Amino acid sequence: MNKREIIEHLKAIIKPYIQDQNAFESLTEETDFINDLKINSANLVDVILDIEEKFDIIIDNQAMEKMVNVKAAIEIIENHLAEK
Amino acid sequence: MIGNDIIDLALAQQESNWRRKGFLEKLFTQEEQLLIAKAKNQEIMVWNLWSRKEAAYKIYNRETGIRGYIPKQLACFYENETKGTVCCNEHVYHTQTTITNDFIYTIATTEPRYFSQIQKINPDTETRKTNGIPYLVDAITLISKPVSISHHGRFWEVITL
Repeated sequence: MNKREIIEHLKAIIKPYIQDQNAFESLTEETDFINDLKINSANLVDVILDIEEKFDIIIDNQAMEKMVNVKAAIEIIENHLAEK
Repeated sequence: MIGNDIIDLALAQQESNWRRKGFLEKLFTQEEQLLIAKAKNQEIMVWNLWSRKEAAYKIYNRETGIRGYIPKQLACFYENETKGTVCCNEHVYHTQTTITNDFIYTIATTEPRYFSQIQKINPDTETRKTNGIPYLVDAITLISKPVSISHHGRFWEVITL
């Protein structure tokens, strides 16, 4: 799976939780889940659980701590996929 | 320093399924999961502990400049329904929580004595931000005061020290 595909899957995952449509439409790697997309911090765990299910990976505490923006999420997914 | 967090319980019920597999395990320590399991009202305990973590994180983030999704590092020590502390990497924060039928609200401080000094301010008050951290400039003394803002659903709470 290439980066573009990962981003497309990621966008589909985060869509139900976003509260800023403009930030979502102009999403880049620098987009912040909480500050830009206004995802409720209690919903960020849902994003993480959905990523685990979709990509069939396990995100541990250490990886979860970094999960604040699109870039970090892509990196974590890429690393896990590479280990498979 | 101070931090606050409010949870609109009706909105939380719509937004979050805390019974979802993995949800509690990812957000709460073993001790906290046990508190939730034993609670008479588990949902209230989930949001009570969560609001403590969120309020404490606001201070931790300001004190250390560290940003991360670290709910399990913010460990709650639950004295009772309304009182406790949250520890995060040797930082200790004191919390006071208010529970009503409609919301759960926690204020966290670095010192217990601050609780009596905290002032609630009107959410319409103009605040400024540096690096995403809000503050207020006193119109007369021009001294800037730290502010903590929390909004969820029907509720807004803004406090200063």
